Amino acid sequence: MVEPTPTTAQPAAPTPAAGAEPIISANGLSRAYGDRMAVSDMTFDVLPGTILGVVGPSGSGKTTTIRMLTGTLSRTSGEVQVLGEDPMRFSRRARGRIAYMPQLFSLYEDLSAQENVGFVAALYGLGPFRRRGRIRRALEVVDLWDARHRLARDLSGGMQRRLELACALVHSPEVLFVDEPTAGIDPLLRQSIWDELRDLRNEGRTLVVTTQYVAEAEYCDRVALIVDGELVALDEPGALRQMVFGGDVLQVDTTRAVDPELLAGIGGVTSVRQTAPRQLMVTVEDAGSLTPQIIDALRAGGVEVAGIEEHQPTFDEVFAGLVEQRRALRGQTDLDLSERRGADGE
Amino acid sequence: MSDLVQSLVRIGSFTGKELREVLRRPGVLASLILGPFLIMFVFGLGYSGYRDPFRTEIVLPPGDEFPRDPEYYADLAPGRLDVRNIGEEIGPAQQRLRDGDIDLLIVAPENASAELREGRQTTIRVMWNEVDPVYDQLAALATSILTSSLNAEIIERAASEGIAFAEGDLGPAADVPPEVIARPAQAETENVAPSKPDVLAFFGPAVFALVIQHLAVTLTALSMVRERLSGQMDRFRVAPVTSMELLIGKYVAYAFLSLLVTAIVGALLVFVLGVPMLGGWPTFVGIVLLLTFASLGVGLLISLVADSERQAVQLSMLVLLASVFFSGFVLPVTDFAEWTQYIAYALPVTHGIATLQDEMLRGSISMEWMLLVLAGIGILLYAVSLLRLRRILRSAD
Repeated sequence: MVEPTPTTAQPAAPTPAAGAEPIISANGLSRAYGDRMAVSDMTFDVLPGTILGVVGPSGSGKTTTIRMLTGTLSRTSGEVQVLGEDPMRFSRRARGRIAYMPQLFSLYEDLSAQENVGFVAALYGLGPFRRRGRIRRALEVVDLWDARHRLARDLSGGMQRRLELACALVHSPEVLFVDEPTAGIDPLLRQSIWDELRDLRNEGRTLVVTTQYVAEAEYCDRVALIVDGELVALDEPGALRQMVFGGDVLQVDTTRAVDPELLAGIGGVTSVRQTAPRQLMVTVEDAGSLTPQIIDALRAGGVEVAGIEEHQPTFDEVFAGLVEQRRALRGQTDLDLSERRGADGE
Repeated sequence: MSDLVQSLVRIGSFTGKELREVLRRPGVLASLILGPFLIMFVFGLGYSGYRDPFRTEIVLPPGDEFPRDPEYYADLAPGRLDVRNIGEEIGPAQQRLRDGDIDLLIVAPENASAELREGRQTTIRVMWNEVDPVYDQLAALATSILTSSLNAEIIERAASEGIAFAEGDLGPAADVPPEVIARPAQAETENVAPSKPDVLAFFGPAVFALVIQHLAVTLTALSMVRERLSGQMDRFRVAPVTSMELLIGKYVAYAFLSLLVTAIVGALLVFVLGVPMLGGWPTFVGIVLLLTFASLGVGLLISLVADSERQAVQLSMLVLLASVFFSGFVLPVTDFAEWTQYIAYALPVTHGIATLQDEMLRGSISMEWMLLVLAGIGILLYAVSLLRLRRILRSAD
């Protein structure tokens, strides 16, 4: 089980009230299909009014996790509470407060966009007069109001995903489980969908969103990185960067070739990597306080600084780093085990 | 909003969705309303109920006293024999029978008169070449009629000869004509049924019942399978909707559709095709609703066990096939062995056909218990479907 230490990085969302109780909590959540563990021993909490991004490659266990949270899939072991209830025994009231947007388009192709949203609204008990305004608002949120009379089968893939989202929103749920909202969608539209998800978060809703696009972790308040059904890391996006790179990363450009050793003696500098003859990537504990010292040290060595700025590693890099760390940790564990077995054998 | 109102809203959502989906497909709409009517119309135009008489060849012994006129033999079994040839050689005639050029070969006995005079029965050989059991029975019937007529003809001649002999030797004999001696009794027939439907009118209610069942079974089976396979069940699992609301919503939608089809096709049947409606429309509608209720149960059951749309269609077709064979649509249910009749009575359409034909053609239902069975099938299948659906929605596997 991985229980990463939370960091102090700033969340991208309005901070939930101090001491707020988690609206979702999973403890030791596992699901097996026969002998194969699809999800192993996952533990995490989600605070109200935040987005938890469940990020991982295809087949890593994201959908299994989200389905266990919605009660559409039973768990093999562990405990889950959503809105204070076990999803497998949700009360009608609790069901009315959550929404689930499945990974695959499952709406009715022969109904118009408006009719599909209306159908889902009625499933949540919204009468004809009450749902009229809700349908309009939901379709406007996903920018489909103008296409409301088009049959679902005539909508593009991206519009169908947005229609699914509108259906999930129509009854104004407190908690949304959104499975792969951006899968197979062009980058511009992905950005727009994330804008909508963040708007919902800003309205105070809680979202659990799965995505296979690692870069989208950036849009989340907290990120659960899943690989092979295991939770590799759980933290805020900035904190995950620090976790991988050991601090802030500064990109230093100089006017002439520079020797990395010039920065070796500065306290707080954890590593220096030369990426070009006139460029260094310097990892520091705190970029704000150490930048002047780095400039001074280079000047003292006769090198002028042409530019210095904080480098934001992409989440692809962060993801790769985390997976590498995990492999290294596993390799070390395997090595220890084999050494122990060898010693036992002797 | 009260729970009851919310529940009604949910039921309404399924009903509205089903109706929209069906009505939005013009092809389905056409097959719903025009299909049954067109089937019956073509059936009525194309099927007269008239069967061609058997193409017959008669082989007579050379030089015998049997008449040589084909009309003579055709008149012995009116409308059943088309005597194409009268010959004297059996070999070529048998070959023509094998080749399918004729249907019936009648071989008269040699020395028939002599045999008869000596008090021995003669044998007429009749051969046919038919694998269809219905035609086989008809050929046997035609032969039986022919033999009876021929016997009567012989008795009539013998009586005629006897009377002439008696009159010649003994003076005027009893005043009994030979045809009365040969045929002392004759039948005067009367069908006391309240209507005399032609073939179209007789089969109209049966086709209608079969179409109602098939539509309900197919549409429901496909609808639910689609929902299961598309992942829509996950949405229902998460939403505050119950399996009973889902089922009732679908039942209401299809009951409405059936009534719509019933109204239009029923009116076309009675007012355009001239099928009698001796009973009352309310009973007619009641039967249709019961038939729809029971048929929806069959469709739901199929949808809840089928793994794919293809399998749902296959199972629906199997139900249709069983219905055509066992329901009394083609062959009377009572013609089957007792254990097979249980299969027939398990099919909603069996009761639908019998009660609709009774109501329309006789003006009242003679077997009211069939309505109870129809309702029983509907309730049983609804309960089974409800339990199965509840299990599916709760299984979360």
